Amino acid sequence: METLADLATGFSVALTPTNLLFALVGTLLGTAIGVLPGLGPALTIALLLPITYKVDATGAFILFAGIYYGAMYGGSTTSILLNTPGESATIITSLEGNKMAKRGRAGAALATSAIGSFVAGTIGTIGITFVAPLVVELALNFGPAEYFSLMILAFVTVSAVLGNSATRGLASLFFGIWLGLIGIDLQTGQARFTFGLLELLDGINVIVVAVGLFAVGETLWLASRHAHGKDELLPMSGSLWMTREEWKRSWKPWLRGTGLGFSIGALPAGGAEIPTFLSYYIEKKLSTKPEEFGKGAIEGVAGPEAANNASAAGVLVPMLTLGLPTSATAAIMLSAFQSYGINPGPLLFETQATLVWGLIASLYIANVMLLVMNLPMVAVWVKILAIPKPWLYAGIMVFATIGTYGISQSVIDLALLYAVGIAGYFMRRFDFPTAPVIIGMILGPLAEQELRRALTISQGDMTVFLTRPLSASLLALAALALFGPVLWKLANRRG
Amino acid sequence: MNFKLTADAWVGVAVLVFAGIVYYEAAQIPASPLYARVGPAVFPFFISGAMALLGAALLVQGLRGGWSHEDPELTLLPDWRAVFWIALGLAVNLAAIADLGFTLASALMFACVSRCFGSKRPVADFGVGFALAAFAYLGFSVGLGINIGEGILEKLVF
Amino acid sequence: MMLRRDFLKTTLAAGAFAGMSAPAFAQTMDRLRMYIPAAPGGGWDQTGRTMEQAMRAAGIVQNFQFENVPGAGGAVGLPRFLGMRGQGDILMVAGMVMVGSLIANKSPVKITDATPIARLTGEYQVVVVPPNSPHRDMRSLAAAVKANPGSVSWAGGSAGGTDHILVGMIGQNLGVEPKAMSYVAFAGGGPAQAALLGGQTTAGVSGWGEFAEQVKAGRLRAIGLSAPTRQAGIDVPTLKEQGIDVELANWRGVFGAPGISAAQRTALTAVVERMANSSQWKDECTKRDWTQILMTGDEFGRYVSAEVARIEGVLKNLGLAT
Repeated sequence: METLADLATGFSVALTPTNLLFALVGTLLGTAIGVLPGLGPALTIALLLPITYKVDATGAFILFAGIYYGAMYGGSTTSILLNTPGESATIITSLEGNKMAKRGRAGAALATSAIGSFVAGTIGTIGITFVAPLVVELALNFGPAEYFSLMILAFVTVSAVLGNSATRGLASLFFGIWLGLIGIDLQTGQARFTFGLLELLDGINVIVVAVGLFAVGETLWLASRHAHGKDELLPMSGSLWMTREEWKRSWKPWLRGTGLGFSIGALPAGGAEIPTFLSYYIEKKLSTKPEEFGKGAIEGVAGPEAANNASAAGVLVPMLTLGLPTSATAAIMLSAFQSYGINPGPLLFETQATLVWGLIASLYIANVMLLVMNLPMVAVWVKILAIPKPWLYAGIMVFATIGTYGISQSVIDLALLYAVGIAGYFMRRFDFPTAPVIIGMILGPLAEQELRRALTISQGDMTVFLTRPLSASLLALAALALFGPVLWKLANRRG
Repeated sequence: MNFKLTADAWVGVAVLVFAGIVYYEAAQIPASPLYARVGPAVFPFFISGAMALLGAALLVQGLRGGWSHEDPELTLLPDWRAVFWIALGLAVNLAAIADLGFTLASALMFACVSRCFGSKRPVADFGVGFALAAFAYLGFSVGLGINIGEGILEKLVF
Repeated sequence: MMLRRDFLKTTLAAGAFAGMSAPAFAQTMDRLRMYIPAAPGGGWDQTGRTMEQAMRAAGIVQNFQFENVPGAGGAVGLPRFLGMRGQGDILMVAGMVMVGSLIANKSPVKITDATPIARLTGEYQVVVVPPNSPHRDMRSLAAAVKANPGSVSWAGGSAGGTDHILVGMIGQNLGVEPKAMSYVAFAGGGPAQAALLGGQTTAGVSGWGEFAEQVKAGRLRAIGLSAPTRQAGIDVPTLKEQGIDVELANWRGVFGAPGISAAQRTALTAVVERMANSSQWKDECTKRDWTQILMTGDEFGRYVSAEVARIEGVLKNLGLAT
């Protein structure tokens, strides 16, 4: 009950007019930058760090938290409407979300993602409030061996996006893993596949690849089909909002996505993308209409959207309980603590109770604000699709330029975007699925690094993956997901 | 069996060539220090091997008639006029953005891409593109203090 | 020690300048551009922005402009900075990390091509172990390394970075081949700390600031500091007093463009010195746990050259440079 008293204090801090204003500005700004590809919450907060010299700590963190949550809401909007993901955690959203928009259900897709984000954000924040210390102790049991096994489990999810042919799907996957390996190898400092370009030493940004494949590649493809009239968008159909059936198909994915997102987000090396992959896979497996996946299934939007918002809450768990920055955004927020002379660490909850509880309370408030703001906005956003087609596609290209050149000022990045776009065109022409490229690019290097860390620690002993119970269970789960259905079929046939 | 050199077969060849490039580049990665049990070249070699196998499989599929014919939309002849305009737009943007700046380069690209998708009013397109790009440029420079691509025009006006 | 000595030297120098030709070396500037070869929010960016705050507050410079060119520990940004020949109103923030990155990435340009202005802050590295570790001091850990280097895993930042360099130096000092030190690289301080808190590796290395709070809360045990002598406020024995003759500071400083005139260089040095001695700057450094190790002029130039040679040697031993 002490927690509730602390939370009440937190609300008394967060509900002052000034701090409410900070929350409002933060959520607005967060939504705006979430919409823009390439400009994420980490960079935005970094650019706003100088305000820490002018504003008190509570106000600044309430602003930052609003930006952080807002970006997660905003990122899905462009994924759905323009097939141009604003954040790496919303790439999966565009798979079904954009297909829904194309068949005239943009409103429902935006609504399920906004409501799902609200549900996930709120449950995630409740998680921070009540179980953070417990979760973090569990999360610390994850070592490189466990993470490697988790990545193997996540690789299984690629089977949900392989498309018409396993050969072509796997070729896409390996292409993605290769893209992910470009740059300096973290473990040995050696440059790999950089072709002598300094700009490639830090690797290729996954957003550049996603925007290149989805937005540029797709636009090139539609251009080449223009004479055949294949670039039609279906007009909006049915109600702007979600139908009764769409509600029914959304609420379970919201909850499942929340569970995945919060728990994986709380892992120090969990990240926000992996839970979206897992959620998409699970929803496809559990859906009563799996045939709709790939054509705009609402579960495929609801689940991953809840997962990425819950993971945003999850990331705050190690940050607030141990002072561990496990994402770029958390790292910047921690450096903001330092400019107030606060050293974030395991004692933060005790030494800075007002600040921390004010921050947590403001997360609840930010979520409500975002829901109230985003639902009416759905009606405005869908109007984007009414823009004359030539201008819509031209606008998408300008947008993609902002996300690459505008952020890095590097013509090489822009050239890379277009090169990936051309690759995307040919992949489309020869029916190679593009989603496995993204999955490979994100998971490949993570799996590689964790494997190598685990083997350095174990001095080359391969059995660590099986002798550590958590790791073995994750591998067993992966094997079950991969071979379970086949075995099930065989068993049924015999019986 | 009747082998045909379909376009799909060439995709198999391309994947094989890619596997070769990955192999060559992986062989250039220096030998790793002792402490790294799995060196930096292990995954690259693995990818190259997997790509070689998949490329061979695609080549065989391609020679047996390929897969593109399964979806008639794939084999439609490209609309070369539209492809020309969009390619021109991207090329102009790439070539001009560093010197002319974000606003002008984007406006030119906007006009080309609009033309590609059937617009017949280049001046109006350029105007809309210019307004959009200028709005974005100002939004970034005023709102967040980020310069998203200063060029001739931006230096003069802002 | 170092701090006080440098401080005396620089005040003397500044005094001498003031006495000789005060008007020529006005200690204010109209405009200063800061060039940060890293992303916003990182250590160099924070150094630059904190300088801005201190200079504004102390009325040294009012008009600031920032440019961030991130990539590969500064190896992407440096060539562009070196292209700004003769521009006397720009400062680049850089440090030891750039020295290492340029060597490891076989960069065609050198940090010594820029004009060294001043070393400002530094941070000592610390060796930590999980609280349930059998190693209570550096001697015990050193004995374990000597017995079997592979059995002692070290968590730290990316290979070839400051943490790795310290691990290599420790190995070298113990007579163990640096390449054989079992180094496990993590992407940044958070994940490395998480691995240590969970007892996944035997030991870990990072800047003191990164681990300080965990050590204070008893979640990590600090057993060795890479400083020459004990530091005020840091209750950790040095590596040196435990028989490991290794010293390393992750320093940060500022550089001018190449080919600037002697007058431009003196003017830049003067404003930076005035800032470094301002109470605003000192307060900020205390808040952020930055150790002030001011060094300017030719002395700093020689220091940078010596660091380049020293780090190149360590990286060669680690197998990361040729």
